[in-house]
Amino acid sequence: MKIGFIGLGIMGRPMALNLVKGGHELTVWARRAESMQPLLDAGARAAASPAEAAQGNELVISMVADAPDVAEVMRGVAQGAAPGLVAVDMSTIAPAAARRIGETLAEAGVDFIDAPVSGGEVGAIAGTLSIMAGGSEAAFAKARPAFECMGKNIVHVGASGAGQVTKAANQIVTGMGVLAVAEAFAFASKNGVDRDKVREALLGGFAYSRILENHGQRMIDRNFKPGFKSWMHEKDLNIVMQTAHELGLCLPGSAATAQMFNAMVGSGLGEEDSIAVLKLLENLSGQA
Amino acid sequence: MNVGFIGLGVMGRPMVLHLQAAGHTLHVWSRRPESAADLPATRCATPAELGRRCDVVFTVVTSSDDVEQVTLAEDGLIEGMAPEGVVIDCSTIAPERARHIAARLSTRGIHFLDAPVSGGAQGAIDATLAIMAGGDAAVLERVRPLLACLGKRIVHIGPNGAGQVAKACNQMIMVAAIQAAAEAMHLARAAGVDCGKVREALAGGSAASRVLDVMGERMVRRDFAAGIEARLHHKDFGLVLEAARKSGVPVPLTATVAQQLNALMAQGWGKDDTASLLRVLEA
Repeated sequence: MKIGFIGLGIMGRPMALNLVKGGHELTVWARRAESMQPLLDAGARAAASPAEAAQGNELVISMVADAPDVAEVMRGVAQGAAPGLVAVDMSTIAPAAARRIGETLAEAGVDFIDAPVSGGEVGAIAGTLSIMAGGSEAAFAKARPAFECMGKNIVHVGASGAGQVTKAANQIVTGMGVLAVAEAFAFASKNGVDRDKVREALLGGFAYSRILENHGQRMIDRNFKPGFKSWMHEKDLNIVMQTAHELGLCLPGSAATAQMFNAMVGSGLGEEDSIAVLKLLENLSGQA
Repeated sequence: MNVGFIGLGVMGRPMVLHLQAAGHTLHVWSRRPESAADLPATRCATPAELGRRCDVVFTVVTSSDDVEQVTLAEDGLIEGMAPEGVVIDCSTIAPERARHIAARLSTRGIHFLDAPVSGGAQGAIDATLAIMAGGDAAVLERVRPLLACLGKRIVHIGPNGAGQVAKACNQMIMVAAIQAAAEAMHLARAAGVDCGKVREALAGGSAASRVLDVMGERMVRRDFAAGIEARLHHKDFGLVLEAARKSGVPVPLTATVAQQLNALMAQGWGKDDTASLLRVLEA
């Protein structure tokens, strides 16, 4: 399939490379020209603008930072679009913003899918991302072969915005999950009990989770290298809290967690992995 | 003096009357012309027209967007007011939006003060509002006699935006205190104790506060008719949390109270008093 790909950062680059590997014909665009080089080396063609990345393609995919970036590149895509183009945004943005972008593209005759991912850089490189999609059945079917090159667990959740709602739900669970494991470890140490042993015991019971297993191990190793930077998790939790505010939805646990991540960014832990919330807890209780 | 006024709701209306009673000539504009019907003031067709007639213009509207609309949009104050005119915004909006509006107005030589108020409808009627001003100190001195018609305590906090920061602090403390009063009343009632007696006793001790006085009284009487509509506090908490986030400042209690306000909105009590936080606990 002929695919345009916009945004070649930590996530976008390996995702695009997996599409090339899967035999698709890629046109790429990135704000910084040097980010395109690895893709050009792999055989992709460079576009001069988002509009050109859309031209002559059946599918165009964006992987950028925030809602204004998505809106901007999609404005270009709409200009370059041929009839029947499907545009897919895989960034994490607010559901309401995704719906608005979908409506704007529909006016230009472009079918839009919000398809944020979970699984981080490791999942992007391995092609094992979880992909949660919102949009029409027909557009999803058209994008599916591309999704299969980038991810494993691919779910069409519902209408436009549903993918972002799912991603926000994912960030609620992972945000509170990381905080829960960090609090359990802080609790164990303050009681003079070995964290490693606690983790091992808990893995066999109802407290088992992927976060306890993987993130828990990294906390024990004190390996705070990202992974998933805590400022990004803070950004995603802000999407959750803003949406809850607009809807009149009471989310006390998410609110408390969002404040912990807010404190991490404020105290200079923003560039570390989100498991560095453990450091914040240790500081608060004088365990440093 | 020719004084303009935009926003004639529960706060704006009594403020207009005080300014008029002090001998000023009032010009008003409102989105719905009927809200100006019985006021002793000249009605203007647009904010720009009002701006042409006035040296000082007050705005008391709801959101950051509303203030930006009446000041900066087409037919806004910026198109009508002469250099050295002063816009005094008494709305509660985001500090950075206040700074933005001030900067845009200053390109035409128009001064801007962010001057949010605390004291509610009763404070507006009694002319006892607390006014927290951000902007140039000399400009504040020029309009201080006007503000003195509206409020008792007028404090210059700092440059543009500083007034809105102070108002955010005010809202954090006030609504958290309402939540605390609601929880205390809820606990007293659940334990089979007379809430009125508890409130009366507490008013004499270290827990005494204006909120316990006014909101606590409403909770005891179960009178949830708005003084201040809870939806406005809900809106303000959105601003506070956004400001905290931008500064990387953790505000755990504020965040928790914000969730109770979200629940209040979901129950459909947004137009009732914020004392309804008690009803959220009972729901």
